[in-house]
Amino acid sequence: MPEALPSTKLDAISFDKFLRKQAPLRSDAPVFDLRGVTLITPAVLVQLAAWSYALARDGPQALIETDNESVRTYLMRSGFVKVVSGVAKIQPELAGLSSLRYEFMRGSNPMLIEVTRIQSGKALPALLDQFVWVLRYRLKYPKYDAFDVTTAVSEMCQNTFDHNSGTAGFVAMQVYGKGPKRFLEIGVSDYGTGLAATLRRNPKNGTVGSDLVAIQLATKLGTSEHDDPTRGTGLYHLLEITYKHAGAIQIKSGNAKVYYRMDRRQGYAFAVPPAPGVHVALSLPSKDRAA
Amino acid sequence: MDKRLELGRYGPQLWTREKAREVRTALDPVLDELRAGDTLVIDTKGVEVFDYSFANELFGKIVLSFPREYPGRFVIVENLTKYTRENLDKALDGMGLVMIERKGGGLQLVGKVHPADEKTFEAIVRKGGAVTAAELSEKLKVNLNAMNERLSKLATLGLVRREKGISPAGREQFEYRVLG
Repeated sequence: MPEALPSTKLDAISFDKFLRKQAPLRSDAPVFDLRGVTLITPAVLVQLAAWSYALARDGPQALIETDNESVRTYLMRSGFVKVVSGVAKIQPELAGLSSLRYEFMRGSNPMLIEVTRIQSGKALPALLDQFVWVLRYRLKYPKYDAFDVTTAVSEMCQNTFDHNSGTAGFVAMQVYGKGPKRFLEIGVSDYGTGLAATLRRNPKNGTVGSDLVAIQLATKLGTSEHDDPTRGTGLYHLLEITYKHAGAIQIKSGNAKVYYRMDRRQGYAFAVPPAPGVHVALSLPSKDRAA
Repeated sequence: MDKRLELGRYGPQLWTREKAREVRTALDPVLDELRAGDTLVIDTKGVEVFDYSFANELFGKIVLSFPREYPGRFVIVENLTKYTRENLDKALDGMGLVMIERKGGGLQLVGKVHPADEKTFEAIVRKGGAVTAAELSEKLKVNLNAMNERLSKLATLGLVRREKGISPAGREQFEYRVLG
């Protein structure tokens, strides 16, 4: 019997507590029991999508249980249901037509970029142009700030397929709050081999003793699985952009997570339940103070 | 002779390493036509943004390949905006690379460059033609050995061209010039 949820809000932080308490993967039939959850953020949606694909690849299909109508609606509206269709079951079952109905609304909400599966760089430029458009014209970001944020998203997304084969990445964005408290959260996840295994492919990186060391190494300039001076700058620049825009970022791989608080230019390390792939949650203050 | 790559043809917003590979593939025949002393001009007019992956794959790989695969050829970037220059500068800096930018009729370096190398490059540009290590040594008040080292480095990076010339006394000497 799973323990009670630590919070009714599932974000990148409470999701780790949720995984630790519920241990959904210890069973042969993995269940993500989201009953009692009243709010779920993009960083969790993309992690759930990655988990669903990882589990389906290895055997059992994930069961996602929800009882809150607004969460169930959001799962459809956010594109999550479409993305995990065929690799996860949602209980109670959603009417097929209902989730399809929301697909027609994809791209219509300025506060949301729906969960999108990324398999290669082909479709990415169009998606990134959409980020720029939403940031500039709907959230009133100055042009170059919109470009900065989109550059950060681009680097995160490219990592999901650049260092993995036969898997995919997921991205989503949601804007929260009003006025000076408005912020946006962007989640990017994949279900690849994770940072440690990726970095170990390059002997120059040494032994890469733990997931925490891997995260710390990966955010340093020039550290990559490739012995190539044009590689290994993505996460470094991602942190720099986040610093510049006074945001916060969490990078999770294996059983480690580092939470970078940009007001202090410092990373805080945490042990987390092991997860396949790499998961990045980026929070940035909105530029549209009039909202 | 200049060969031009008009980057704006690929769109105002250039994202991903994959997109840069597409540009490089299209560029291959142009590079093969370059002869010693020719310059590849990357014209970024109309480009509003490129991400670091794009910059690394296009600019980084071109800058790395030139001294090795296209010796004696030069690459110059022009029409950068303040924003694209800043990002290109960071991208090149992150890779430990440097390249020439043509701006307002002049030439300057963008990327990771030591102040001493930058001064030397500027002095060659100001000369407007071939210059010897001895002349630069005197002008910048740097001893000749150090100046030869600086010039050798700039030549290896593909930023200046080293040519054989004849001194007024009739002796063979190296002369340095910036193309573009």
